[in-house]
Amino acid sequence: MSRNLTVRSAVRAGLIAGVVMVYLVAVGIASAFAKREVVTGFLTLGHLMLVLPAVGIGYILAGRPISNSLRITHAAAAGLAAGLLFAAAFLAAEALSPGIRTVLNRVSTDLLAFVGFRDLGLEPAAGAALNVAIPTALAVIAALVRVAPTSVRRAIVGGATAMVLLSMVEPFLRPRLLQFGVPLVAQFIYKSHGLSTASAAIVLVIGAVLATIWPGARSAARNRVAAADPGTRKMLRWATILVGIAFLYTLPVISGSFLTQVLVLVGFYVLLGLGLNIVVGYAGLLDLGYVAFYAVGAYFTALITSPTSALGWGLNWWVALPIVIVLSAMVGLFIGAPVLRLRGDYLAIVTLGFGEIARVLLGSDALKPWLGGPNGILSVPFMIDDGTYFLPIVGKVTGPAATYFPLMGFCILAAFIAYRLKYSRTGRAWNAMREDEDVAQATGISTVNYKLLAFAMGAAVGCVGGAIYATHLQGVVPGGFVLQVSITVLAVVVLGGMGSIPGIIVGALALIGLPELLREFAEYKVLVYGAVLVAVMLLRPEGLIPDASRRAELEEAREIEEGELKVEYDEITGDA
Amino acid sequence: MTSTDTQPAIDAAAERPLLVATDVTKAFEGLVANREIDFNIPRGSIVAIIGPNGAGKTTFFNQLSGVYHPTSGTIEFDGIDISQMAPHVVAGLGVARTYQNIRLFQNMTVINNVMVGRHVRMRGQWYQAITGLGGIRQEEDATRRRAFELLELVGISRRMSAELSKNLPYGDQRRLEIARALASDPKLLLLDEPTAGMNPGETRQMTDFIGRLRRELGLTILLIEHDMKVVMGVSERITVLDYGEKIAEGTPAEIRANPRVIEAYLGKQATA
Amino acid sequence: MRRPSNLSLVDVILWALRVAIVVGVAVGVFTTLSTTRLSGDQWRDLLIFGISQGSVYALVALGYTLVYGVLLMINFAHGDVFMFGGMTAFFAASWLNSNGILNTSPLIAVPIILVVGALSSTIVALLLERIAYRPLRRAPRLVPLITAIGASLFISNSVRGLYGDGVKAYPRVEALQGTFNILGIPILKTHLVVILAAFFLMLALYWFVERTRTGRAMRAVSEDKDTAALMGIDVDRIISITFAIGGALAGAAGVLYAFVYNQVIWSMGFLPGIKAFTAAVLGGIGSIVGAMLGGLMLGVLESLAPTLLLAGFGVPSPNQLRDVIAFSVLVLVLIFRPYGLFGRPEGK
Repeated sequence: MSRNLTVRSAVRAGLIAGVVMVYLVAVGIASAFAKREVVTGFLTLGHLMLVLPAVGIGYILAGRPISNSLRITHAAAAGLAAGLLFAAAFLAAEALSPGIRTVLNRVSTDLLAFVGFRDLGLEPAAGAALNVAIPTALAVIAALVRVAPTSVRRAIVGGATAMVLLSMVEPFLRPRLLQFGVPLVAQFIYKSHGLSTASAAIVLVIGAVLATIWPGARSAARNRVAAADPGTRKMLRWATILVGIAFLYTLPVISGSFLTQVLVLVGFYVLLGLGLNIVVGYAGLLDLGYVAFYAVGAYFTALITSPTSALGWGLNWWVALPIVIVLSAMVGLFIGAPVLRLRGDYLAIVTLGFGEIARVLLGSDALKPWLGGPNGILSVPFMIDDGTYFLPIVGKVTGPAATYFPLMGFCILAAFIAYRLKYSRTGRAWNAMREDEDVAQATGISTVNYKLLAFAMGAAVGCVGGAIYATHLQGVVPGGFVLQVSITVLAVVVLGGMGSIPGIIVGALALIGLPELLREFAEYKVLVYGAVLVAVMLLRPEGLIPDASRRAELEEAREIEEGELKVEYDEITGDA
Repeated sequence: MTSTDTQPAIDAAAERPLLVATDVTKAFEGLVANREIDFNIPRGSIVAIIGPNGAGKTTFFNQLSGVYHPTSGTIEFDGIDISQMAPHVVAGLGVARTYQNIRLFQNMTVINNVMVGRHVRMRGQWYQAITGLGGIRQEEDATRRRAFELLELVGISRRMSAELSKNLPYGDQRRLEIARALASDPKLLLLDEPTAGMNPGETRQMTDFIGRLRRELGLTILLIEHDMKVVMGVSERITVLDYGEKIAEGTPAEIRANPRVIEAYLGKQATA
Repeated sequence: MRRPSNLSLVDVILWALRVAIVVGVAVGVFTTLSTTRLSGDQWRDLLIFGISQGSVYALVALGYTLVYGVLLMINFAHGDVFMFGGMTAFFAASWLNSNGILNTSPLIAVPIILVVGALSSTIVALLLERIAYRPLRRAPRLVPLITAIGASLFISNSVRGLYGDGVKAYPRVEALQGTFNILGIPILKTHLVVILAAFFLMLALYWFVERTRTGRAMRAVSEDKDTAALMGIDVDRIISITFAIGGALAGAAGVLYAFVYNQVIWSMGFLPGIKAFTAAVLGGIGSIVGAMLGGLMLGVLESLAPTLLLAGFGVPSPNQLRDVIAFSVLVLVLIFRPYGLFGRPEGK
């Protein structure tokens, strides 16, 4: 953290952790998560949330370049500070209760009971004391874990993570277990909605063991791959991709209806993310109005394919698609052309303006005759038959899965296109433009053309997403095209890593998938998005999975070199 | 028509300077950065522009590469009027440059920096990139090969090719910038203070290198420099700017002895 | 893409846009006025409302322009700073209402509410600068902007969590009810208070920036940060002061806004924030006078244009499209005259 290594700085860090704890309670995150059991009867997600700041600060401080005993001291000091602050806030809230509820509306007597361990029969003073002791103890424990030998640390962290993960996937795993006819397993693992004590203990151990083996196994595998010749490596890469696609293909079957719906939602954002990635990640144009392209695609599709729309042509979706793409690309050009010359921030605001204009116009009375006003356009036929069809291996496809398969197909296509563009002259030109526009121009890149191209391509991808959306909902309403969509897509791209294709998938899973799985989370979704954006920019602007192009370059360079060496060798030995 | 008939035309073309700037003036809202400058660069030569800080050298450079447009006057490159052309068009005609304070594409790899330098000589379009048609694979391979050649030429190890250019040591960054400029097979190379920040050993290497560039690649080179040893050592003709005007032009020996030049650098006392 | 004269395609589009706007405005205005939809009194009331609204925009716009002047960044979260002031002041107003002070001594109560609003916004603005912006001073320009967006979401949704989802109705201030007669023109007292308060604050700011040492330092920092540092100016402190002032003005604006609309809600920062930014850009970002005048212009424009312009075209429910007016102004100004009415184009 800071270069300041005094105990005072540790205390300050602890106070910040304490503020975070108070914040989590006051905003209501702690209580919302308290409904989610991790280990039934013992631990809830709310508890975990509350202890996270103290644990985190202890862990971080223990990374300071000081002696181990000092590390523990610092962590203890920080934990103590956090606990004291939190306890003080608790006591103050108790004193001001119930009046305080008129201001901080989450601070109910129930909440205070939860925080103050009233259910264990403790008076506020005792509860406060516990609230001082626990963060201190946990911070120290976290520090001890950090300074422990690596294998021990890995084991503990791995075990804890495994336990939390297993508890979190309960809403998805338990129905699957029942579906596949192993109800006893389900009953053993889960008691009510959290883990049973027995399974918690077991998964802790398993997680610890796996975490210890993992690094060794991974580097062994890596070495094996690196030692192999380029041909094998290429085959391995293709094999991984094919396995991945096969997995995706069978996913709806093993996931069940709810999870497939979540996957569809994630898929939409992956597609949009890939499109925005071209504009923001490759070309460096911050577009805050990306939802406009989504809307254009959706509304054009609705207009063209719905028999009851203002146009009423009732064309087949697949026939309409190229038309819609061309129209969107044109819109992209029209929007892009006037704003080309604008600097980064201004470009962002202008695109935001466009997005908002579009939103208002979509629902307006003025355009109601064409766009249907607040009710939108209905009766958009599904893209394939009437939403039920058959696929090899998977069998009958209906419901959300019916959208899943074409959506996946388009995502893979978009990812492929994005991948190809990245390692091409066009991709390099975009990157250069993003890095330094003036120098890019002097290098011969027509920034006007390439900016327009980025806009048009981003528009095209976004519009395909919109077209699929329209047919998925079998209608369009203006309410689905708000600024929040643009910002969410941006958050997905930023979190995953601008310019990184796997990053977008991870970002979408994290920001879209997670809130769906943790329903308690959903109310605070946007709050978390905001925090994530700030945190990523402050801590790791390159995102979770940074641009892999470097690794790819290395790979290419090696392949060429080895290829050339082979040519030389062949020439020398006369094999050529 | 016999070959001897066309010979005078060819000789004349060879004689025509690669770049001719006539009466170039550049004014910014009241400040005249360049005033009525006449300047030409003979084909295949190494010439330099020197002058005290603020003399207008970089402004002039910028007009040669199309970043600025002259307020009045014309600039002709290889017979074409580039006075009002956009920078990327000028680059396409064969003008490449480096920058005083090194402007690499920082978050791009070394090899990509050089490959993007070749942008104007490549033809791959976005739809070809996606479909893989149109000979794009061959073009990429050829470009990559050329990029490796250039890296070797400027003396950057192949092992660094996948490094991010911002992670390179200073000297390598300078050389990478030159490699990037060379990637477009330019006719004219503009070097803006190529030895800034270098120690005497590196400076000597750079001077030799500039000479090599002209010899091996047949380039015409224009330098801006402050290091007099470099200027005197490598350039055939020196032009001196002061307060936006050309105050002298000639061989190194002539410039060294020119009182106006000495005065511009050292003030009136020095010549008194 | 190989279009040789692509520049001219862009120019064509721009010129078409210019022509469309001029013609559209002319036709709309002419049609409306010739069909006398509203009486003179109604136009006048709209105008006054516009000025009042515009004063609020102006105050918030000042925050944008000040921050842009020193940091060359758009403080996207400024609208939420505005909201926070209005929101926190609500609690003060409620408390003052519950013990009666609000209506027995409004001359004391109202300034207290304003101060509470300004102070709370100042604190948020300072925290924002310290936590989210200062570490990113030297980062590429996209980064602070994304951070600002994140901060905006965070602040507004935190308020939502802390204080609750719903609208909070400001208590009735008896002293602010009814109208005042100036030169025979009836003006709603709330509007009058808003306009006067805003005007006073703007004068105070102008005096501060032009006449005090700190103000001079602020101007120096916005000219050239590094040189100002060399001259011995504590740049960090000046930047913090700039944020604080911008925050205070926004907070006061939040309270004034609440007086006009009688309610606050966690999401109320977004639209006024964008519109205030539009005002700042309209006047020329970085220019204080520009922000003030831009705010007033935008307020009036927003008030009059739906009826004046759109109704003329027979557009149903033109007031739905009020926001479109503001956004369109934003887009058009940025496209055609990004340096605003009182700024000057950067030379090339």
